Amino acid sequence: MNTRQRFDDQPGFVLHTYPWRETSLIVETFTRDHGRLPLMAKGARRPGSAVRGVLMAFQPLAVSWSGKSELKTLTGAYWQGGQALLGGIGLLCGYYLNELLLRLLPREDAHPILFDRYAQTIRALAEGRQTAPLLRSFELALLQELGYGLTLDVVAGSGEIVQEGGNYYFIVERGVLEADGEMGDSATPGSALTGRALLAMAHDDFSDADTLAQAKGLMRRLLQHYLGGQQLESRRILIELQEL
Amino acid sequence: MNPLDQLIEALRILPGIGPKSAQRMAYHLLQRDRAGAARLGQSLGVALERLQHCARCNTFTEAEICERCASPQRDASLLCVVEMPADLAVMEQTHSYRGMYYVLMGRISPLDGVGPRELNLEKLIARAADGVVAEVILATNFTNEGEATAHYVGEVLRTRGVKVSRIARGVPVGGELEHTDIGTLAQAMVERRSL
Repeated sequence: MNTRQRFDDQPGFVLHTYPWRETSLIVETFTRDHGRLPLMAKGARRPGSAVRGVLMAFQPLAVSWSGKSELKTLTGAYWQGGQALLGGIGLLCGYYLNELLLRLLPREDAHPILFDRYAQTIRALAEGRQTAPLLRSFELALLQELGYGLTLDVVAGSGEIVQEGGNYYFIVERGVLEADGEMGDSATPGSALTGRALLAMAHDDFSDADTLAQAKGLMRRLLQHYLGGQQLESRRILIELQEL
Repeated sequence: MNPLDQLIEALRILPGIGPKSAQRMAYHLLQRDRAGAARLGQSLGVALERLQHCARCNTFTEAEICERCASPQRDASLLCVVEMPADLAVMEQTHSYRGMYYVLMGRISPLDGVGPRELNLEKLIARAADGVVAEVILATNFTNEGEATAHYVGEVLRTRGVKVSRIARGVPVGGELEHTDIGTLAQAMVERRSL
């Protein structure tokens, strides 16, 4: 594997860029077939650079790169268009999605299904759709795609199907458990889930306000666990902005 | 730590300067240009001691209020919000704006951990609500970060009853459609205006 590899016009998004040296950028990209991939964009901060205005987050791009080291060199980026720019609250939600991907996705691990979900979610945000159902649905897809084995419609251990009218709770790394009279200390407060909400989540249906509220609590706990307790900056800033 | 290592460490705080570059700079200053090094040290000390943020526009100034903000020639009812002093400078080159400025010294960038607290947005909010400012013009960059900044500053000021506008974007003056980048063209179509 010491031949210099070249990839042309791969579908991808920019997740974030960091200035590098005087005129270059390190670009964290999320590509469909090569996963999260950091690329060095040489001279991208020069005034006349062809990619200067293109390397923007939330825009579908066709990305080319080459190289054999860990940090490959960006050789081209073309705007694919077809969607408006993100604005307002949708833009802040976009940063949140990007931060989740940057923190949770390992490098160079292809997730084409997740990529398509990301592209769909960004498009929906650009169209100004209601943000909460989009975020919950993406969070769930991300955790499932990362292999955390989130099964929401089957009771852990017993293998019984979750009942619409039943009451349950969720333990991280274990799964859905039936709530009976004596739940003991194993259940964290606020972790109660209705069978109806669990089944709706399992079918990726976040249209109901009750489901949405329960999903928010569940996703918050799960993400906190898999992020190892790290604070998400985009969430902190969104909260601060809403307090202004 | 000896003085040489201390100097190298100190130079590393500059953006984009790693250990190698810092070492090269240190040797250059000590070996090749000792007079320049003395000047650098002195101006750094003076700047740190004398310069502060203007109480009104937030740029660096020696006085409490900078010359531009104190000038009676300028229209105090207009307040133009820019990200950096370089943006203010280029705006001045247009000779088409005679109002006041506010320089944020950055932009909201969630993934870099820069939010309203880091930008001290409270200062801008207080400045815009001085009773004289009639319109706030948001001239942050047309990047995602600039847009996020404009959106939130705009919302906050609007709820406080301040009139807010955003500078226009689109095909550059003298630009031909054929040679305009397609992203700009697409957005110009989205943001078209009726005549």
